[in-house]
Amino acid sequence: MTKDSYNTSGAGRGSGCFSRLLRKPLPWWTRRASVAAVVLAVSTAAQAGDVTSEGGEFSLRGFGTLGLARSSSSQAEFVRDLSQPDGLSTHWSAKTDSVLGLQANFPAAENLEAVAQAVSRYRYDGSHDPELTWAFLKFEPNPNLSLRGGRLGTEFYMLADSRLVGYSYLPIRPPNDYYGALPFSYIDGADGLATLPLGEGLLRSKLFAGLIREKAPLANRQWDMNRSVMSGAYVDYQQGAWQWRLGYAQVKFKKDLPLADLHQLLELNGAMDASKALSMADKLSRFYSAGAVYDSGPLQVQLMLSRTQHDSKVFENSHAGYLIAGYRLNKVTPFAGFSWTRSSSKQLSTGLGPVMDATVAGIMADSHSDQHTATLGLRWDFRQDMALKAQLDAVRGSPRSIFPTRWEQPNYNGRLNIVSLALDFVF
Amino acid sequence: MMRRYLLLLALCALLPPPDAAADVVVIANPRAGVDRLSRDEVVNIFLGRFRQLPSGLSALPADLPSSQPEKAVFYRQLVNKELAEINAYWARLVFSGRTVPPRQAVGNDDLVSWVAGTQGAIGYVDRARADGRVKIVYEFSP
Repeated sequence: MTKDSYNTSGAGRGSGCFSRLLRKPLPWWTRRASVAAVVLAVSTAAQAGDVTSEGGEFSLRGFGTLGLARSSSSQAEFVRDLSQPDGLSTHWSAKTDSVLGLQANFPAAENLEAVAQAVSRYRYDGSHDPELTWAFLKFEPNPNLSLRGGRLGTEFYMLADSRLVGYSYLPIRPPNDYYGALPFSYIDGADGLATLPLGEGLLRSKLFAGLIREKAPLANRQWDMNRSVMSGAYVDYQQGAWQWRLGYAQVKFKKDLPLADLHQLLELNGAMDASKALSMADKLSRFYSAGAVYDSGPLQVQLMLSRTQHDSKVFENSHAGYLIAGYRLNKVTPFAGFSWTRSSSKQLSTGLGPVMDATVAGIMADSHSDQHTATLGLRWDFRQDMALKAQLDAVRGSPRSIFPTRWEQPNYNGRLNIVSLALDFVF
Repeated sequence: MMRRYLLLLALCALLPPPDAAADVVVIANPRAGVDRLSRDEVVNIFLGRFRQLPSGLSALPADLPSSQPEKAVFYRQLVNKELAEINAYWARLVFSGRTVPPRQAVGNDDLVSWVAGTQGAIGYVDRARADGRVKIVYEFSP
């Protein structure tokens, strides 16, 4: 067996033929175009209302993005995050950033609200099948406490629960170096948020726990993360223009990566320990994060840092961060950002000799990241509830930095330039 | 604090004249048990961060429709944000399922009578519309 036959963890270097197979013969955007037409019609019909309207009664709202982007290179495909099976190459594509979401809020009683949200986007299986992203009951017995149960988004990292709502932030997508490694967006579980006035500001703390239900694509296979247990907490202090946050989250994965053939080979040769060390089943991953936001009038600045530690040897430990700043000039807000992600390799000896060790090391290196991205862009709030954005991203990294992208070719040089346009709207 | 105030003053000077002329005040129900709110308290209530009045009552904020110039004046004076930014802010909180925005009044008269008839209600209108049925709890002008 060759190395390539195992090379499905994380990235799948050299497996570009699978990438072709994954693409359906019917271009997805033919279906997308009709959806987009409906959205625009609904959105235009709903122009009378704001996103800020209708508090206190049943409401149906939506959000969406029509995005177009292209890359300077097809040696590695740029993805929005690792929930996408493939991404951008040298032709324009709408799949990376386009999204449509609908949300219903039913206030059942004074302190009780039911919320459901469905989202269609380019997802792990290459389809745009809508997914139920939120379906929860929210109970707020007093202004200090908010309890939710059901399917809900997690603030795994600060702002992680609004990653799909392009209208709510400055750039076209959340920085890939920072948020890109998160293939999960909701849990079936519960969370509780406590808010306490402290000094001149507000102290907030949230606890959350639940089961992951999603799948992540790995080359031509899928990693089923179903029934993995996620839990976490954050502490947040907001005063005046400043907001500070420390967060922790952990995931205990239920199932292994789809690498059965690798484990079989190791175990048949008696390398039980190595096989176990490479498994993700019942292994814990820990995610530490810190964030600071300064938001005063026309100026917005965000700094986020994270550190990820995997007990399994199959994923490298990493740290990441980003800094983004924007300044509004009337209806136009130029912004600039810088993000980075780096990981450190792990050692594992199979006891089966250098050839096997090298094969295993190659698989472990699929989760390597060592790159930074410089971003420049503009957001134009040209009419109510709509924004047009244009953005340039320059990804610069080591040729071995293949975790953040998909379908790397052996000649990938670690450099990608991405041009993106988007129309974001809410209705 | 002083520096922020001066900055705000400088920025207010740059605003177009009609806005500068509008005198928007924050009004509450007289039975809410509140005489005065601080700017931070008004921000917390209207931006959905913490909706409790100093009297312990839950705060029920209401917005004017965007067609009313007072709405833009209010948010500009309160947090120096344009309505597009306020909408983007609410898009994040609404679609993450966390908080709902203030309920929306149909117009000025609707807002004043709603505040007058609802304990815990809080809104904003031009000073000339704040009649005896409601209480002024925050003013922007010095």
